[in-house]
Amino acid sequence: PSLPQGWSAEKDFKPVGGLSAATQRNIEPVGPYFLAHARRKRHNRTFSEDERL
Amino acid sequence: MGDAANGVAERFAIGISFGNSCSSIARISPDGKAEVIANEEGDRQIPTVLSYIEGEEYHGTQAKSQLIRNSGNTVAYFRDYLGKDFKSIDPTPCHASAHPQQSDSTVAFSIRDSPSETPNSVTVSEITTRHLRRLKQSATDFLGKDVNAAVITVPTDFSDAQREALVAAAKNAGIDVLQLISEPVAAVMAYDARPEATVTDKLTVVADLGGTRSDVAVVACRGGIYTILATAHDYELGGASLDQVIIDHFAKEFQKKHQVDPRQDVRGLAKLKLEGEATRKALSLSTNSQLSIESLTNGIDFGSTVNRTRFELLSGKVFSQFTGLIEQAVQKANLDVLDIDEVIFSGGTSHTPKIAHLARNIFPEKTAILAPSTLTSAINPSELSARGAAFQASLVQEFDHEDIEQSIHPMVTVTPHLSKAIGVEFTSSTETTFQPLLNAETALPARRIAHYSAPKEGGDVLVRVCEGARNIKVTKPEPKPKEEKPADDEDSDFSDEDDEEEEIREIVWKTEQPVAELAVKGVKAGSKVEVMVHVNPDLGLQIAVREVGGSSAVRGAINGSA
Repeated sequence: PSLPQGWSAEKDFKPVGGLSAATQRNIEPVGPYFLAHARRKRHNRTFSEDERL
Repeated sequence: MGDAANGVAERFAIGISFGNSCSSIARISPDGKAEVIANEEGDRQIPTVLSYIEGEEYHGTQAKSQLIRNSGNTVAYFRDYLGKDFKSIDPTPCHASAHPQQSDSTVAFSIRDSPSETPNSVTVSEITTRHLRRLKQSATDFLGKDVNAAVITVPTDFSDAQREALVAAAKNAGIDVLQLISEPVAAVMAYDARPEATVTDKLTVVADLGGTRSDVAVVACRGGIYTILATAHDYELGGASLDQVIIDHFAKEFQKKHQVDPRQDVRGLAKLKLEGEATRKALSLSTNSQLSIESLTNGIDFGSTVNRTRFELLSGKVFSQFTGLIEQAVQKANLDVLDIDEVIFSGGTSHTPKIAHLARNIFPEKTAILAPSTLTSAINPSELSARGAAFQASLVQEFDHEDIEQSIHPMVTVTPHLSKAIGVEFTSSTETTFQPLLNAETALPARRIAHYSAPKEGGDVLVRVCEGARNIKVTKPEPKPKEEKPADDEDSDFSDEDDEEEEIREIVWKTEQPVAELAVKGVKAGSKVEVMVHVNPDLGLQIAVREVGGSSAVRGAINGSA
């Protein structure tokens, strides 16, 4: 969509709202993507930190 | 994680699917493909049956045929008794074999498993150990290496006590259980772990149709991470229900001819059961099947045929129970059949062509029905759990037990999931549309990147990131009333499908709540805009937008609330 006239924001970014509450669910401890997730969570790493290793 | 076990003897792990009716063993072949191992009799689906004659142990198909002449010393359908209290079990499947009995707090079978004439009371744990020992032996013989570890599949409703009992029984059989994984997820993984598969976001229904029970699970697959949204179980529905249809059909035919009901005779019934099952299985492969039993009852031989059409007519009621269970699971997950991207048919009874065809009619055309009769590239439904388990076994084989236990701890597995989809809203002169980028039920943290076409003329572009909700729009079949809403900021509809005239129900995305607005300036004509959204577990977001090929990106962050 084109930018409407008169739209402006600091650094071109305007936060408007937040997300609705998340639901707590149990993920299945299976598969390579889960193991990567577990590794990140246990070592408190972020995606990019994990990729660097 | 990932360190090889130090100082411990080398581990060699396989995948085991342990069922009430059948069990399978599988490994990952050197070229990375899952492979189900046949036992020394050539069976890949090994009946979960043990039988004893003069102290000698028979297993699998050999033991199963003993159900006719030696039913008292034959143990079958015991998986669901493991780790359970005697009062809470349903002994029905064991009517034709050794009966379960109470022994202290557990279940046992009274069988003559030694050369002596007096029967021994053997607990269900011990039976399981013996069964697993035979499976381990078959795998070891085939692979030429001592198999000493495994990942075993269990139903989603297996309690902690049942899990512990299974791990203990396996340990006694010399199998180190690395992990117990649930059957539906193993089935999904059997498909996703194929080299040609790509990781996508999808909602999958796994219909595990077994011999004596059937389980259906709705699984959300998001970026390779699986979450079970709902399950439905039927403990009386399975291949045995279809066998009963065949048994009744032939028994009536026999009765008409000879005025004797073979079902009244214990041995006659056992023979009918065994042969009826074989007939039913043959009907999944061919349109005609025969049954012949020597000396069915009163020394009379019996031979007859049945065709698939006839069988399907007689089984109509049972078939609708299967499809009913699938619909029930989808409903339990608060979903509509339109939301389902694929249906995986798993378990031996899934070979029945009619069940997959009936499912085909329930789900929309875009839903993939993964069963042998509807998709030629489908994996053998009987092998799915074992293949998934083998795949997981190959992943965790190198890990320490401590590593695995920490990883499957609720601290790790309980994760916030998005309750609503996050996407990008497009406003054109006529309508506002919403395209989901992160689907609802995505486990956090998560990151998605997508490319969107910028307006043809280029220029400055506004990207609105919003939360959206999926609605089902019911349209009357006649002249379709086109939604002509003004491009309202908060409230607008769009159908993301090229709908056909006869289509009545469709998915409609509705923007619910805006999250952020970003501007990309000076986009070239015909160019694309890349949107990256990263959501943290605390619901904070980072959003970055840039022109594809461009160097500078507009980014921003929103703090999480939780």
